[in-house]
Order: sequence, then C-alpha cells, then structure tokens
Amino acid sequence: MRLWDELIRIVGPRFVSREDAVLSTYRTDAFTLHDGDPALVVWPRDAGEVAAVMRLLYARGVPLVARGGGTSLSGGAVPPTAGVVLHLSRMNRIVHIDPIRRLAEVEPGVVNQHLSRAAHPFGLYYAPDPSSQQACTLGGNLAENAGGPHCLKYGVTVNHVLQADVVLPDGTPVRMGSLTAAPGALDELGALIGSEGTLGVIVRAWVTLLPIPPAHITFMGIFDTVDDASRAVSAVIAAGIVPAALEMMDPLAVTAVERGRYRVGYPESLGAVLLAEVDGESGRVSEEAHLVEDAFRRHSARLLRRAESEAERDLWWANRKTAFGAMGLLARHYYVQDGVIPQSRLPDALSAIAAVSRAYALPIANVFHAGDGNLHPLLLYDDQKPDTVRRVVQAGHEILSACLALGGSVSGEHGIGIEKREDLARQYTPAELRMQRALKDAFDPRGLINPGKIFLDGR
Amino acid sequence: MKDFQVDTSMCVHCGLCLPSCPTYQVTGSESESPRGRVVLLDAVREALSSGRTPDPTAWGALDHCLDCRACEAVCPAHVPVGHAVEELRGLVPGRPSLLLNAAALGSPSGVRRFRRWVRVATRPGVRRILRAGTSLPAPWGPMLSLAGGAPTSQSAPSQEACRESGEGLGVTVRFFWGCVMEGLYARTNRRSAELLRRLGYVVQMEDAPLCCGALARHQGDPEGARRWARSIIARFEESGAAFFVTNAAGCGAAFKEYGAWFREDPEWAERARAFAGRVRDLLELVDLKRLPVPRRTAPDPVTVHDACHLVHAQGIRDPVRAILQRVGIPVVEMVEADLCCGSAGIYNLSHPEMARALRDRKVGGIPPGVTRVVTSNPGCLLQIQSGLRERGLLVDAVHWVDVVYDALWSGKGEDRAALG
Ligand SMILES: Cc1cc2nc3c(=O)[nH]c(=O)nc-3n(C[C@H](O)[C@H](O)[C@H](O)COP(=O)(O)OP(=O)(O)OC[C@H]3O[C@@H](n4cnc5c(N)ncnc54)[C@H](O)[C@@H]3O)c2cc1C
Ligand code: SF4
Ligand code: SF4
Repeated sequence: MRLWDELIRIVGPRFVSREDAVLSTYRTDAFTLHDGDPALVVWPRDAGEVAAVMRLLYARGVPLVARGGGTSLSGGAVPPTAGVVLHLSRMNRIVHIDPIRRLAEVEPGVVNQHLSRAAHPFGLYYAPDPSSQQACTLGGNLAENAGGPHCLKYGVTVNHVLQADVVLPDGTPVRMGSLTAAPGALDELGALIGSEGTLGVIVRAWVTLLPIPPAHITFMGIFDTVDDASRAVSAVIAAGIVPAALEMMDPLAVTAVERGRYRVGYPESLGAVLLAEVDGESGRVSEEAHLVEDAFRRHSARLLRRAESEAERDLWWANRKTAFGAMGLLARHYYVQDGVIPQSRLPDALSAIAAVSRAYALPIANVFHAGDGNLHPLLLYDDQKPDTVRRVVQAGHEILSACLALGGSVSGEHGIGIEKREDLARQYTPAELRMQRALKDAFDPRGLINPGKIFLDGR
Repeated sequence: MKDFQVDTSMCVHCGLCLPSCPTYQVTGSESESPRGRVVLLDAVREALSSGRTPDPTAWGALDHCLDCRACEAVCPAHVPVGHAVEELRGLVPGRPSLLLNAAALGSPSGVRRFRRWVRVATRPGVRRILRAGTSLPAPWGPMLSLAGGAPTSQSAPSQEACRESGEGLGVTVRFFWGCVMEGLYARTNRRSAELLRRLGYVVQMEDAPLCCGALARHQGDPEGARRWARSIIARFEESGAAFFVTNAAGCGAAFKEYGAWFREDPEWAERARAFAGRVRDLLELVDLKRLPVPRRTAPDPVTVHDACHLVHAQGIRDPVRAILQRVGIPVVEMVEADLCCGSAGIYNLSHPEMARALRDRKVGGIPPGVTRVVTSNPGCLLQIQSGLRERGLLVDAVHWVDVVYDALWSGKGEDRAALG
C-alpha cells in the first residue's frame, strides 16, 4: 500500500494532507530565516496513532518532525525536506489535575497558559512561563526546555517534569521518569528534556503544579543608563534575594511595545526599564520589596513604582511578553538572539551588541532576562533578500561570539535548532559534540526524527 | 494589478495568535490559523494580481475565516487578518452568498421585507415545520436550523407606549433598531430604549429600515456597505443627538469602523470618522449607579457568551458582568466565553459545517445549573438558541437587556402593557 493510503488508514482522510496550500503554512515556525519543504502533514488524535504513524515512517525510512505551537525561535519545528509534519494540535487534553499531589497529566498539545488557567481554581499554577505562553505547548516546552521571566526563581521546564510517555523513532512507546521521585539508573527524562524533538515524540507528560504565591509585589524602575540598571540588578542579587522575575528592556524595545497591544505609558528618553517581582509569604515579600527598592534607588532609578493593582501588574507583563511580536511595528522581520553572559558583564555585552549594530547598520532592540544574564537582542530588518539575510545571520554569529568571549553561552532557552548549529560547534569541543551525537544516534540510529538540527553534519 | 489596502506585512510569524482562532481550535491546522492565513493571503493576492485563479484550497482556508477579530485582539503587531480576508472576499468573484445578501438586504425595502420574513419564523406553527426541515441539504437545512433558534413571537408595541424616565441627564441619544434585531427581537429593542430613558437619556429612535452594512461588507460588497453607511451618517448628523447607540455588537463594531470604510473618500472621510467617534454600544452608556437595586433575590445563575464583535472588535468585556452583578444575577463563567459561536453574519449559511462545530462547542461549554446564556448580538442569540434547541437543553439564549429588564421591572403591569 502507498504511504498516503496507509496514513489515511491510521488517522482517517481528514487528518492527513498533501495539498500545496496547506504545506506552505508549515514551512517555518517563528524562526523565519530558514524554511523547509514537507511532503505531508498528519494530525494524530492520540498516542496510539502517533506510534502507528511512526512505525510506518520508520519502516519506509521517511523523516519527520513533531510540531506543537510552532513558536520555536531556532527553527526547531522547520520540517525536513520531503518529510512528514506530525502536528500534535489535536492532542490538547488536560487529562487530569491532581490537587493533592499537585501535578497535572497532559497531552503534548496543551497550551502552556491553558494549563495554568485550568489549575487556577485549585490555587495552583504551572510555573515556567515563556513569553509565548499563550501559544506554545507543553510538548514544545519539554522539547526546548523552555524558560521564562519567572524561571529565575522557580527554575525552567526540566525542574517541573516528573514523567513523560515518549514514542521512539521506530514507534516503540516508552515511559521515562516516575511519579514517585525514585530516579532510574540513567536519567533518560533529563536527556529528553531539551533535546529539541530529536530523540522521540512526547505523547504525554506529568508536570508539577505550584501553589499560587499568597503575595507578590511588582516594580517598575526607569533608569537613565543601562549601566545603572545593570548595577541595580547586581545589587538585588547581592542582597541575597531571588526575585521571581527581573527583566530589562532597552529604549528601542520600549518604543516597539509602546506601539503594540499593551501600552504602559513609559516616559520618553529613558536608558532602560527594569521590571522586578518578588513573591511568597507576605511578611517576607514586604521585606524583600524594601531591599529591591533600596537597590534600585542606590543605582539612581529615575522613577520607581509598585504596581498598584493586579490589572496594572498584568499590563506590565503583557507589555513585556509581547515584545517580540511588537517588533513587527518597527520592521518587517526580526531575528532574535538568545545568548547568555555572566550577569555582571551586562554592560560589556550591551556595548558589544551596539558595536555590531553599528558595523552592520542593523537596528538592534534588547529585551532580556537580566536576572540570569539571558540576552535577547532583536535584529531588525526589512527584506528577505539573500544579501540582507546573510548580513543578519553574520551579525547574529558575531553577537554570540561576543557572548562566548565574555564567558557565556550561545543559547539560554530558545534551543540550537537550525539557527545556532555553527555557534554550538564553536562553544563545545569535538569530544563533547561527539558525545552528544552518540546520544542522538542511540535513540535514533536511522536519523529520521528532526534531522539536520543541532549538529552541523546534516544528519 | 489589483490594489490591496489592508497591510499584513507586519506579521512576524510569532504564532501568538493561534490558540485564539476558532477555526484553528476546530481543525488544528496551521492553514486555518491567522498566521497560516497571512501566508495564504500573500499567495492568493499574488495570483489575483497576475490574473491567475487562486488555489482553491488556499482560498477555501481563507474563506473559512469568521472575521471574528480574535486574532487581531491578541496580535502584538496589530496584524488585521480578519480585515484582510474581508477585503479579499470582495475581489474573488462569483460567490453565491453575495446573491443571498443582495436579495435580502440590498435596500430599505429589502430590510423591511427581511424583518417581515424573519418574524414569520417566530410563529409556533412555523417553528414546528422548521424543526422538521433541519436535515435538508445546505443552505436550506442550516438556514432552517438557524431559524429554529428564533424566539417566540415578540410583538412590537408602538414606541409611544414607553415613556417613563429617570432623572434626566439632558443627553440625547439616537437608538438604532437594526434589521435582525428589529425583525426578531423587537421587544428587546423597546426595552433597550426604555432602559436608556430610565438611565436619564433623551431617546430618539432610528427606526428607519436601515442596515449597518456589516453583512454586505463581510460578504465582500464594500460599496453596498458604504451606501448604507452614508444614509446612517447623514441622518445622524441631522438628528443633533450626542451619541448613536446600538444593542447589537456586530452593528456597533461596523459603525465604529466607518472611518476606515471611507479612508479613500475625501468627501466622506471626516464625516465618517466623526460619526464613528459618537457610536456607543448600549453597555457603554450604563452608569451602574443609576440602576436600581433589584427587588428579587437569588435568581438562577447565568453565563456570559462574549460576542466577538463586542469583545474582540470593541474591547468590551467587563461591563455586562458588572451590570448583571449590580442587578443581583450570579454569573458562572463558561469555558471559552470569548470563542466565536459560529454565527458571524451569515457564515452559518455559507459554512454550515464549521459553524455547527463551533456552535456545538459553545453549547457544550455551558456550565451545569445555568438557565440562561447572556449575550449582546442577534446573530449569537439565534445561533446559540438553535444549538440549545437541537440538543433539547432547558437553557435559553437571551440578550442582556432582557435579563436586566426582567430582574428590575418585569411583573409590573406597566411593563407588560408598555412593552408587550
Ligand atoms: C514571542 C515569543 C516569545 C518566546 N519567549 C520564550 C521564552 O520566554 N522562553 C523560552 O524558553 N522560549 C520562548 N520562545 C520560544 C518558544 O516559544 C519555545 O521554544 C516553546 O517551548 C516552543 O513550543 P511550541 O509548542 O511552539 O513548539 P514548536 O515550535 O512547535 O516546536 C519546537 C521544538 O519542539 C519539538 N516538539 C514539539 N512538540 C513535541 C513533542 N510533543 N515531542 C517531541 N518534540 C516536540 C519540535 O519538533 C521542535 O523541535 C518564544 C517564542 C516566541 C515566538
Ligand atoms: S498575526 Fe500577529 S500574532 Fe499572529 S503570527 Fe502574525 S504577528 Fe504573530
Ligand atoms: S478573524 Fe477569527 S477566524 Fe479569522 S483568522 Fe482571525 S481569529 Fe481566525
């Protein structure tokens, strides 16, 4: 039987497509500098269908990529040539919320924010909050080990996953991790999380939920210079506080978000905006609040405010979290970087970025998780001409080299994907890369699942 | 070279809009998502510009767009996907729904006829026949199914009967009757006017057989839509009223966009903009403090369906809840309260399958123990009520004005006499 007919037999005729128009909408994810050319899209309904489809593809040697919300910024969900997109959008059930054990059992296509919303009546929430949380899925979050503004205090995805059901490339279902916190001999789950969809397809996950903190206070600090703001960040950390979030935006980023959907009304001509949040028991929160305010003041915050209502707090965060999308109001395209530097080197990193901006004549906006030194420079450009794209990509590589030179790393949370394969090869020694390659080969000897990602060897 | 006015080039492909889109929710396909539509839009526009026939799959996926504006309300870059599809509809020729629209609502006499036709559907004998025909093929089956959602006959008492007013505000407002609202929900219209009076407004009725033009525009007939707009604007200018008020979310959203409809027309641009600035949904004119405290306590809880053209297009979400609370009616939120019910103009006739999927999803989200679904748009009322009927549920879809009216004033002889 032909592949097409066999797929129809598994998922039904409505849930497989090879039409050009449909395929054209699957060529990229949120990383638009590189596109793929899939042959088919399949929308499986459950784990059984995923396994059956994967067995079939394995037998025929057809490559595939899993797709969740398609918000990857490194090309993680860009499909392999002539391959199959396994779009998990129909597998979006929250199977169970256990308020006693504080955990949720979910299908991979559940949208991150929908889980927190469903847990809310129990006084619980799912802590990792990527800025894309209104659209990214738990499957994609596990695959990319996603972080978010509030991960400074609560940890990234890997700190919140107990167990996952995974279908291996040959169609074999396996369970990794456990609900009883007795880790096996090898931490397979640890290897899976952050593997960018290159080891297997996650079909179910059990994640921890946290109690909603009884109190929180959110601050906005306006600074005249990035240096002042950076020193304020260091001072907060030095005071022994771990804020729930500590985020910075530079003037160009502020220009974009202020034109966007959620206008805060930031003052004109500022050097940097810092958003900080402390949360926990109310007594401790007010102590920490004073320390944060003190740190901001000592480093010449021009304006310092506490959010006066939940609505105001939500507005500030919505404004910050839609920064990438709002770049569309400044230029037709952006390319966002994800380098990490030691927090104390922020001013150096920003001047290096400014130098790249000048050298390549590309405007660069900066939004970053200041608390842990995770930078998100956004390179703005207007056309997709090969020459422009080359320039943008080259400028991106230079920024990442600067991060490495400052003792940092090329990726904080967006993954390597297609985007940072060369940079990864620069960060790690050949021996380290061989080790990672061996892990991939152990799971996927035929190189069928999300090939061409992470490693430069094209497999 | 075709001229496309609506710009979507600021889409950065971030994908944040996907979960808000009803057609993506139902199909799970990127091609039925706002981001996918931006991609397909480029392809279809290119085809049209170079005189080629657009790919039918691409056009079909675009045409599935409900124009519900949910994506526009969450997009950080303000990409007007719904508007862009709407514009395109006018440029792809030979669409049957256009004919339907032209026959029913092309002119004032059409509106008069339309009001009469739809009223027929509210008669008990006719309702039984309608129910029997819902399994007929499209468009008849869906049309009859939808008609089954019509309320039982609402007589339209003469407007002079309603007179009582609260302490005057000295502000004159002009209340728009609309085509569907007046055809099916005439009593709600009277009560709306009465509510405005009791809130202290001086009320003028815009009772001429007029349509806001939204239906024509959604179906790709912008010039037909502008014809309606011109008469409404001109009549408002003459009226001297301070605000132009509607209780239909779809009409309100259209009125507020008149400025954009006439952007290219130097003669009308300024007038349309000024008019749009004077438009209010009735919800926006309710001053809570002016509502009396209710007599009845502990009524059954209700749930709210946010009409797309209210919540997404006009950004009005909280007022209806605040008003219900003020008049003592408990609200239990439904899941996906702001997800489109599938009504969307005459979408339920042109795309019955998708419309039905969304309707069933909406009805399935109604929490237990609720006896009324409260909303603010005639299309949603019809659509949701038809779904409730077909499922045999003992729940009614009602306009918020009726809920408030019942809670505050019904049972008074005056009310029955004056309002039928
Ligand atoms: C505006 C914006 C803001 C963002 N902010 C952040 C942020 O603050 N922090 C952050 O960490 N990231 C952020 N991201 C990046 C992105 O949202 C995350 O990487 C997210 O985890 C991707 O989830 P997704 O469901 O969209 O996955 P997709 O983009 O669909 O896929 C990403 C990768 O995961 C794999 N994958 C998806 N589902 C599965 C599965 N079930 N099994 C196996 N592999 C799978 C895919 O194959 C692919 O390699 C942002 C993106 C955008 C557009
Ligand atoms: S339409 Fe807006 S939200 Fe959707 S992908 Fe484009 S920029 Fe992002
Ligand atoms: S207007 Fe509504 S249906 Fe159309 S793309 Fe946007 S969200 Fe989807």
